[in-house]
Amino acid sequence: MNFEEIEHTADRAFRVQGRNFAELLVNAARAMGVLNRLEPGGEPPAMREIELEGIDRETLLVNWLNEILYLEQTHGEVYDRFQILEASNNYLHARLDGRQSIGSAPPIKAATFHDLAIRQTGDGFEATVVFDV
Amino acid sequence: MLDKHNFVRLAENIWEIPPTFRDDMRVAARVYADEDLLDAALGDNSVVQLVNTATLPGVVKHAIAMPDIHQGYGFPIGGVVATRLPEGVISPGGVGYDINCGVRLLVSLTSAEEIKPHLEDIASSLYTNCPSGVGSRGHLCLSNNELQRVLHDGSRWMLDKGYASQGDLDRTEEFGRIAGADDAFVSERARDRGRDQLGTLGAGNHFIEVDKVAEVYDQPVAARLGIHLGNIAVQIHCGSRGLGHQVCQDYVSQFQKAVRDYQITLPDRELVCAPFESKEGQEYFHAMACAANFAFANRQLLAHLIRNSFEQALVGRIKDFKLRQVYDIAHNMAKVEEHEINGRSVRVCVHRKGSTRAFGPGSSVLPEDLRDIGQPVLIPGSMGTASYVLIGTTEAKQQTFGSTCHGAGRVMSRAKAKKMVRGTELRDQLGRRGILIYAGSMSGLAEEAPVAYKDVSRVVEVVHRLGIGKKIARLEPLAVIKG
Repeated sequence: MNFEEIEHTADRAFRVQGRNFAELLVNAARAMGVLNRLEPGGEPPAMREIELEGIDRETLLVNWLNEILYLEQTHGEVYDRFQILEASNNYLHARLDGRQSIGSAPPIKAATFHDLAIRQTGDGFEATVVFDV
Repeated sequence: MLDKHNFVRLAENIWEIPPTFRDDMRVAARVYADEDLLDAALGDNSVVQLVNTATLPGVVKHAIAMPDIHQGYGFPIGGVVATRLPEGVISPGGVGYDINCGVRLLVSLTSAEEIKPHLEDIASSLYTNCPSGVGSRGHLCLSNNELQRVLHDGSRWMLDKGYASQGDLDRTEEFGRIAGADDAFVSERARDRGRDQLGTLGAGNHFIEVDKVAEVYDQPVAARLGIHLGNIAVQIHCGSRGLGHQVCQDYVSQFQKAVRDYQITLPDRELVCAPFESKEGQEYFHAMACAANFAFANRQLLAHLIRNSFEQALVGRIKDFKLRQVYDIAHNMAKVEEHEINGRSVRVCVHRKGSTRAFGPGSSVLPEDLRDIGQPVLIPGSMGTASYVLIGTTEAKQQTFGSTCHGAGRVMSRAKAKKMVRGTELRDQLGRRGILIYAGSMSGLAEEAPVAYKDVSRVVEVVHRLGIGKKIARLEPLAVIKG
């Protein structure tokens, strides 16, 4: 996994990398699933397609993670496969695949903008995301 | 990097970073703490976060941190920031995702000794009847009209439906209904998240706790509040659930553009804000008030479920198991209040993020029967330690915009706590000390281990000595239901 959890006194945070913006989004979603202690879901399979807008990439990243949390909570589903169909600086179109949730409720409430900046590195992109739990 | 040398010590427990410390500071940043608690605050990023809040447009007097300060996101937890109206800003990130997270305290005339043989039955009933976990669903699923009533009327709706008494409402901050709510500014997805979550606890540090009144410091005031040595008390700690989280998300996201439109420069994007009187500021305030009312209603329904649980466990066994409400307070909220600044009364928007309103005697916003003693303040500690009941003071109004601390305050990350502590061992260890633990997640329980928190008694001692909250009673846990 291209992420590492970093110390945060009250909440949770990770640093995540991706070779491009789309991969950063996918890896961030997977990392959030790990922090959320999500167990593999049961039948039936679940699929959601989402479209998001934002004023920049940071806003899209936060909106993307919060959209996943919203869908998981309101539909009782768990997603573990993420396909970015289109991603620009202001627009995101993606497909989520998973299953019905069978585990206990996840602890993360929301992804925040705290100290958030997507940095270009020699290998692609890196971001630090802090979550409210 | 900040260290103690950047502070000026104004008094034994008051430390100030002057506004000259950073070019973008508009006012000083003050930490109310003893030396050890200040050292603890300097162990994470919380003081930098406090300095960041001192840059908000319209901020007045000084940005304040309570002794339970610790790192949050945007604002530090334990922060108090007031902005002058009408030009000052309101910040959704300054209130946080759990809008009107707060504490309610109920007390009984029954002694802990009488209850002891039945404690396991009480805890088991509470765990069964009060759903917990982030996405948990409650006993009610509200129609659109019912949800609208809750958002506008808060605990008042619960009274109409038979889940509350007038006495409960009288003993709730804002009488359980904050003014300014308009559900036109609450999104459909926020409603969807909250529709079936009334009467649920949530996860993280939220809990229901059965306590014993272990010590009384001010007998006359404690008696006035119905608090008697050796008797049973019950605390509820939770907030506005998914509805509040979504309101915050919606507006933090929308305000990313608003700060550009209003040409506000900020050191952290989670501090996004807009002038209070602007269209964006007002829309957030209306939505925040709805979420706050939802939280009051949530704690009210939980109080009802707790009363039912006591009845289930104790009917025919104990004569008087009635639970009377001492008070219900918010500790994540932005409120419009009048405060004296430089000898003049000024209308301000007070952001309390992990801090508690603590109005003293004479305050006109208190119910008549509390006006001569002041507002009860409820300070929950960590699971294995103690909690405190304080009373608000005139000094708090003068020094800290009528605010005081809100809890013990974390000192260790959740990840580190989980590495150090096993949930099952902690449960057994507390069990040996006579504290029953019911938790949905052992991993979540380990994150909330007492070792991850500061010493609540030390935090309370600081605010007591500063005069921004006066000790009334200490509670010790007997049974804890964790989200």
